[in-house]
Amino acid sequence: MHAKRLVGRGLFYLLVAVIILYTLFPFYWAIVSSLRSGQGLFSTALIPSDPVWDNYVAVFREQPFAANILNSVIVATAVVALSLMLSLTAAYALGRVRFRGRGTLLMVVLAVSMFPQVAVLSGLFELIRWLGLYNSLTGLILSYLIFTLPFTVWVLTTFMRELPKELEEAALVDGASPWVTLTRVFLPLMWPALVTTGLLAFIAAWNEFLFALTFTLSNEMRTVPVAIALITGASQYELPWGRVMAASVIVTVPLIIMVLIFQRRIVAGLTAGAVKG
Amino acid sequence: MTATVPNSVAAEAGEPVRVEIVGRMEQRRRRAAVFFLMPTVIALLLVAGWPLVRTVYLGFTDARLGGSEQASFVGLANFGFLLSDPAWWTATWVTLKFATASVVIETVLGMVIALVLNAHLPGRGLMRAAVLVPWAIPTVISAQMWGWMYHDLYGVVNTLLVGLGILDAPRAWMANPDTALWAMVAVDVWKTTPFMALLILAALQTLPHEIYEAARVDGVHPLKVFWRITLPLIRPALMVAIIFRALDALRMFDLAYVMAGANAATATLSVYARQNLVDFQDVGFGSAASTLLVLLILLITGILLTVGRVRLAADAR
Amino acid sequence: MSAVELKGVEKQFGKTNVIRGVDLSINSGEFIVFVGPSGCGKSTLLRLVAGLEEPTGGQVRIGDQVVNDKPPSERGIAMVFQSYALYPHMTARENMAFGLKLGRMDKAGIDSAVNEAARILQIEHLLGRKPRELSGGQRQRVAIGRALVRHPKVFLFDEPLSNLDAALRVQTRLEIARLHRNLKATMIYVTHDQVEAMTLADRIVVLNAGQVEQVGSPLELYENPSNQFVAGFIGSPSMNFIPVTMVGQGVDGVSVTLPGEVTATVPVIPEAVETSGDRLVLGVRPEHLLLGDAEPGVPSALIAGRALLVEQLGESGLVHVRLEDGSTLAVRQPGTVLIEENQPVQVVLPLHRLHLFDESGRSFRRQRAALSQATDRSTAISAA
Repeated sequence: MHAKRLVGRGLFYLLVAVIILYTLFPFYWAIVSSLRSGQGLFSTALIPSDPVWDNYVAVFREQPFAANILNSVIVATAVVALSLMLSLTAAYALGRVRFRGRGTLLMVVLAVSMFPQVAVLSGLFELIRWLGLYNSLTGLILSYLIFTLPFTVWVLTTFMRELPKELEEAALVDGASPWVTLTRVFLPLMWPALVTTGLLAFIAAWNEFLFALTFTLSNEMRTVPVAIALITGASQYELPWGRVMAASVIVTVPLIIMVLIFQRRIVAGLTAGAVKG
Repeated sequence: MTATVPNSVAAEAGEPVRVEIVGRMEQRRRRAAVFFLMPTVIALLLVAGWPLVRTVYLGFTDARLGGSEQASFVGLANFGFLLSDPAWWTATWVTLKFATASVVIETVLGMVIALVLNAHLPGRGLMRAAVLVPWAIPTVISAQMWGWMYHDLYGVVNTLLVGLGILDAPRAWMANPDTALWAMVAVDVWKTTPFMALLILAALQTLPHEIYEAARVDGVHPLKVFWRITLPLIRPALMVAIIFRALDALRMFDLAYVMAGANAATATLSVYARQNLVDFQDVGFGSAASTLLVLLILLITGILLTVGRVRLAADAR
Repeated sequence: MSAVELKGVEKQFGKTNVIRGVDLSINSGEFIVFVGPSGCGKSTLLRLVAGLEEPTGGQVRIGDQVVNDKPPSERGIAMVFQSYALYPHMTARENMAFGLKLGRMDKAGIDSAVNEAARILQIEHLLGRKPRELSGGQRQRVAIGRALVRHPKVFLFDEPLSNLDAALRVQTRLEIARLHRNLKATMIYVTHDQVEAMTLADRIVVLNAGQVEQVGSPLELYENPSNQFVAGFIGSPSMNFIPVTMVGQGVDGVSVTLPGEVTATVPVIPEAVETSGDRLVLGVRPEHLLLGDAEPGVPSALIAGRALLVEQLGESGLVHVRLEDGSTLAVRQPGTVLIEENQPVQVVLPLHRLHLFDESGRSFRRQRAALSQATDRSTAISAA
């Protein structure tokens, strides 16, 4: 009995090790590759000998990668701020006021968030050009609302519902209007939810590719994913893999650190957003 | 002074059909709610509603990108061309195969990871952190990372498989349509299994301990416990997670675009639609392809909802 | 003029009638307690006064105004919630000042109002703390303070003690009573705890299924419940009910047959509608029953039974006696009970302690003589 249990434990930890290796190895390999240059890149040794930083220098020298990072930061920050502002009031209405059509509206919001982006691509393209926002960050910010806004509305509504009803009633007795209740009673309590939701929306906006690819034209206006996808080398047929890996590592490391710091919050936010069956 | 019980009040009124009276206060709240919703609704109509309507409309025209001449109505012509285009059919099969394979594998694997995470053993914190890493990496970057690992000459996948004696010679994974599709599935599985695992884990954690203790007292075999108790209990949550993943997989664009470019053999419907729209400048045709993709997704969602007997509990209250 | 007046107030949620026509008038300075079993509508009634619910029928008046359409903040009320509902991100001072700030009171006015309330409640040293840094009892005081600063015409309490532990509950109860005495304010208090109701109330309103069963002072409800529901609800342990058959009536009262073919004449005022053979219900409180022999000079009925179960509570004991017809009676005995289970006992029912109800549950009015005798006897006993 005891031996059997030990074997079970062993197998369990073997499984854990395999899963961890599977999830972490590709990123590890990207780091290793980014530190190699020239012919060294083609080595398949698992541990890099004498790491070099050439690729990292090249990423910034050969293309406007700093501008790309800045673009991504601006777009993601702006769209998150905008989504949170809009969805905060919407979530109050959807989460705390009974009115006809509330359920339908929530379903529509959910449906929009699950929509294939390509389904609005031509209409949005038309709209963005008509507004004169083609090849501009504003155009991207506007278009990103299509996926960040439904998400933040949905998650904040779930959080908003959890706030105690008596708190709102106490505010009512104190003479607070709905707006005052929202801004001075609920908003201070929603900070953790806002951070979580904002973080998830930020990651989604940071990672977006299709709109960024379609609605921008010049290297200077591109966001990070597009820049990384379109890195080209000396020859059209051979990608500068070292540089690609270096660029990938640069933008992924902060993201991973952020995710690990906010681990618990993210898990809570992801599952709060998911509907219950 | 003393309370009487006026049963008569209602009786005299002849028991009319009562409509719930909405008081002034509640009306005020509802008015506020309308104001509060307005900005979001307008924003969604602008960035989602209107473009969707336009896309559907453009699908019935011969509009061209950058074309200054007025687009004219061509009826179902675009849809007719689509259905007779072998490339569209290829893209449809690629999309369906990709979605089915990745969702099935992710569900099974996600379940395994969730069960491991749910076991109260040391090391689960580390593991949870580890599975979040692929989730945090942008899809485009995942595609590039794996693209490099799949490299026909210098890729670590080939080195590993040849070194282990599984392959006798390196393969060009992305050059062959069959292996390319599976290579893409592998990347998607790697990237999105964590999401699946976390959703399943959340469902597992809502299950009451007592059930498992009772099963243990009754001496039920753990496998049987899983099939007979765990699975039925988390089925609703699992179905919702599967539907979400399926919807996500059906609209997949980044992976295919970055890993295989415009290679028709591995293009998904999203890639196909964008290619026609942007690269070939055929807005009408591309829009029709987009519309058809939406219809396909709606159809599949409908099937999944019916088969899974899932009620999306958007708003029970 | 009454401070609060309800006229035919009704409340429906969807198709459910939660409040079914309540008429009630509350005097200025009165401490009124709403009691009743859970789901009886007591909290809803309070919320109707507060303005947190709007009536679907009838009128709510506070002072000289009909307030049906007024928001809570304009009704001149203040409310203390069951969960306190303090704003978690504000200090005690900010919590108390919030309503005044919204009412655009000037800073000096707010400060003095808050300081005054804090002095009364002895929470001056806690004003800088946030709710999470306060104990349950301290939070309760801040919640009361938030009500106090508004100088309301009516204080509303929704089960304010139910989140406190037993010791603190007694202490806070006393403080609320003291507060009422000092402020001479009108207070409406909802509770399911009858000790709170009996000790705090000037008058108790007993609610059941959305209707008022009886309104009266605590002793009035105890001595003269107007129906079987109130009789069973007020008093702990509950009044015993024995089904009986009426055999006659006269000036002495109504005669009924008890289990074991014992006949007793209950000193109530007979009503013409009742006739012999009618089924009635006899009520008697456990603390009024004796075991053994009747007290000399006290007309009593005696029933034989068997001790089924003895519960020792320390200061008293509760003996559950099974009668011949299978029904049980709870008998409360002071001190330690020396009776063993299964032992045959004789239950003494002093006639002047008996209540009688007709089939619909309405009580017969008790004769004045019986009432005064009851009072005399209790004073005599306490003197002895």
